[in-house]
Amino acid sequence: MRNTRGSRHSLVNTQKLTIIAQDPSVRIGGKILMSEVDVPAEELLAGPRGYRVNVIDFDTATSTLYRPAVLKRAKNGQYEDAFALKKADGTPRKRPKRYDHKLVSDPTFHAQNVYAIVMRTLAQFEFALGRRVPWGSQGHQIHVAPHAFADANAFYSREHRGIFFGYFTGPSNRPIFTCLSHDIVAHETTHAILDGIRSRYLEPSSPDQAAFHEGFADIIALLSIFSLPDLVGQLLDRSTPRGRMISKAHLTADALKQSVLLGLAEEMGVGLSKGRESALRRSVKLRAGRPYMSMPEFSEEHDRGELLVAAMMNAFLEIWMSRLAKIGFVSPGKRDRSLVVEEGARAAGHLLTMSIRALDYCPPTDITFADYLSALLTVDREVVPDDKYRYRAALLRHFNNFDIRHATGADVDGLWKQFDGRELVYARTHFDSMLRDKEEVFRFIWENRKALDIDDRGYVEVQSVRPSIRIGPDGFTLRETVAEYVQIMTLQAKELKAALKITPPPDLPPTMRIRIFGGGALIFNEYGQLKYKIANRIEDAKRQTARLKYLWESGALDGDQQDGLRLARLHRARMARAERSE
Amino acid sequence: MAASAPNSLNIRTYQVGFGDCFLLSFTYDGSKKRHVLIDFGTKALPPGAPKGHMLRIANDIKATVGDDPFAVVATHRHQDHISGFQRSSNGKGTGDVIRAMKPKVVVQPWTEEPGLAETANKPALKRFGDGADKRVAALSDIHEIAAHVVEAAQRGGLPREARDRLTLIGEDNVKNLDAVKNLMTMGQEDPVYVFSGTKSGLDSLLPGVKVHVLGPPTVAQSDKIKSYAKTSDQYWNFQARAMRAGSSLATSKGKSKVLFPRHVASAGPNYPVEARWLIYHARQAQAEQLLSIVTMLDKVMNNTSVILVFEAGAKKFLFPGDAQLENWLYALDGTNDKYKALLQSVDLYKVGHHGSWNATPKKLWSLFKKKSAASGQGRLKTLMSTLEGVFHEEHEVPRGKLVTELKSQSDLLSTNKLPNSDLFRDTLVQL
Ligand SMILES: [Zn+2]
Repeated sequence: MRNTRGSRHSLVNTQKLTIIAQDPSVRIGGKILMSEVDVPAEELLAGPRGYRVNVIDFDTATSTLYRPAVLKRAKNGQYEDAFALKKADGTPRKRPKRYDHKLVSDPTFHAQNVYAIVMRTLAQFEFALGRRVPWGSQGHQIHVAPHAFADANAFYSREHRGIFFGYFTGPSNRPIFTCLSHDIVAHETTHAILDGIRSRYLEPSSPDQAAFHEGFADIIALLSIFSLPDLVGQLLDRSTPRGRMISKAHLTADALKQSVLLGLAEEMGVGLSKGRESALRRSVKLRAGRPYMSMPEFSEEHDRGELLVAAMMNAFLEIWMSRLAKIGFVSPGKRDRSLVVEEGARAAGHLLTMSIRALDYCPPTDITFADYLSALLTVDREVVPDDKYRYRAALLRHFNNFDIRHATGADVDGLWKQFDGRELVYARTHFDSMLRDKEEVFRFIWENRKALDIDDRGYVEVQSVRPSIRIGPDGFTLRETVAEYVQIMTLQAKELKAALKITPPPDLPPTMRIRIFGGGALIFNEYGQLKYKIANRIEDAKRQTARLKYLWESGALDGDQQDGLRLARLHRARMARAERSE
Repeated sequence: MAASAPNSLNIRTYQVGFGDCFLLSFTYDGSKKRHVLIDFGTKALPPGAPKGHMLRIANDIKATVGDDPFAVVATHRHQDHISGFQRSSNGKGTGDVIRAMKPKVVVQPWTEEPGLAETANKPALKRFGDGADKRVAALSDIHEIAAHVVEAAQRGGLPREARDRLTLIGEDNVKNLDAVKNLMTMGQEDPVYVFSGTKSGLDSLLPGVKVHVLGPPTVAQSDKIKSYAKTSDQYWNFQARAMRAGSSLATSKGKSKVLFPRHVASAGPNYPVEARWLIYHARQAQAEQLLSIVTMLDKVMNNTSVILVFEAGAKKFLFPGDAQLENWLYALDGTNDKYKALLQSVDLYKVGHHGSWNATPKKLWSLFKKKSAASGQGRLKTLMSTLEGVFHEEHEVPRGKLVTELKSQSDLLSTNKLPNSDLFRDTLVQL
């Protein structure tokens, strides 16, 4: 049988595209380090413009619209990659003359680079969650503007339905393009996706929630690096002559931290100095064992986000090391380089998947780091019940090292408790509808609100019902359905005490209208039975009191803060932060 | 012979629209007067103000002061506080008038100390502490960034409202070199540069009046209380460089250089249909960006404001310039009981930053003990020099909420409400 392209095979589902592995300042032998990555194959129009991403290269600083990148279709149904350094069969191709110059000065490469990283990041989320993932902004296709303005900033905007990348001129007087930085593109894309999965996380709530978006986006950006084997292999021991082997001296946690994570920061000091890049990796330098969560200097959102990153990356290094310990030495004190890289990629890949999937196990409003830790641990057990590589122990230890404890509502081991569903009534709902129908899930909640302990004052809405498919530990396909409901109540400040035992800040005007949130994630197993209910009760007076105090003190109740600009402001503020002296 | 203490104080609030200009006249022995001019600038005159409005004000100041002892305080470097000190090439500008009055002394924030901007002569500047030179360098970067923003706003494509706001705030932060120089040299004595806790330089001019300097803190002082500043001084340097480069690409025609000239699809104004949605939104986003930069830098400049409390007899008068939260933090810090006591008993408050929300921190407002819902003797007086409609929508200055609070809890005098024909309004307080 032939398909429409005249091929007897089914359509390929990935497309190879060349990207800059880190950013143009990261070079080996003076040449920009490149990487070839797989992105989902799809129909591409000029832009590139695909089914999720629409790259439009407009520069507001000069009111210039640049010509779109047009990828030519090759015979095999794939698109031709004009910047490929490998032939179709994977063998290297000679680097063309003035290749690096072309990369930097050809906006169609910039468009391809940004398109590939956005799609790759999206694909990582869809792989981890086993379902399509929406953008936080309206519409199926997000706009991406690779040279949106002459400024050292980049951000996702829900209101403007786009990801905007700035460019600016660095110390060497050459332009620096944020759209050519793998970290920045992956980070911004993560904001757009996270906003699609948990839309309430951009609302002001607590120092943790404010910091979560940023920390999470950094984690995804950093872990993504390890799926670029060329990059990691090169970075391990750059100072020594490279070979197939690598000495164990380069493979301690400290050495790896220096070379792979912090090494990059040094490179990037050239370009984005004091900017986003060094800030991204600064978290890795944080020393363990301080009461960070209660230290005032870590109440600011960007600083606080670093704690999450530090915990995760240190756990990652430990896991990588312990995986290495399980593989042998090829010769005394020497390990096989590609094996080392592969183990790093495996560990990072696993953590990346866990980090993403944990979102499903977090309450839909007012997230805390503690919730996230418990979600991570729970998800890991779902996938790897026996914990062969001691991921859970490592996560718990390193999160604790940075003063992040598991959720108070969780079990003693830090994992969420399974829901005791003996009281639940399923008879009034239908299994099949429960997999996709918000009305049906709402009916389930309605019939079971006592058993689910859901306050029936105020507004309750099922925001999403998402079936998700993944491979279980036994290799079989596992279906899970994740539904989230949100509760909202609006009261005057003076009513809070009587209605919900919430103590508003003393100087809060008594008639000010206050909106409070609650809600939960309901995880149904493959039989449609409720497995977990991970919720923030709206009537939790302690949590609501703390939230109001934070909102009042941070000025979020003054109406001076525009939510839409939060990420842009945050990124700017992050750039504006002085280097922490440590 | 001057009596040991004044018996009354008249505060003349000039109608400068969006700006500040206050003439404090202390009366000694029932007739002899001594004056302090606090700020003289505008960013937007009241509608219908005749030509030469500012000159009329300058001449009124001159006529009122006459040959009496007189000093000038310039709280900070914003146009709406110092534009009146600018001279004219014909020697007949407002700044020439004030200069000719030969103020005894000119008081400014420590950030105006000219030596700080130079690399030489560091030891002499020790008293300002660590980081002072970097802060001053940052302020000069800020002037530059403001100029870039004004330029970018004019370049076109931005929504009109955004362009107007960017231009207004941007221009307020552009350096007024002549006014700065004039202030530096117009005093008979050496200029005085103050920070929290220093002498005001007004003591010999105003016998019997204690003038407390509550702000601005130096870098070292604010570091001590864990600065909540969101921006570092080196950031401004970084931002100025980033934008400088962007605009050094600019040609003489005010248009920036196109990044990739050989790849241009359209230079507008008619862009292909499929790109228009993005173009509209990218421009909106860009306007928001510039606005957030300019708001941030505006705040940094506001926070260099001199905060003065004049203590005369049993009365206290608070003139904080445009100080915003970060400037206030040092004075309001719990460890500073002396300042706290002063602020609690304030009788008259010059509303900070023309009524913007964050220049009157809740913590400050809650300290004032003379607030009262009922009018009568001893009630807090507030002076607000502002102009409605200068800012738009949610960024309104003055803030509706604050104005309501001021009206209900104090005797508010707002220049906003002055009839067009009035040049000023006097507030006389017996001491
Ligand atoms: Zn971010």
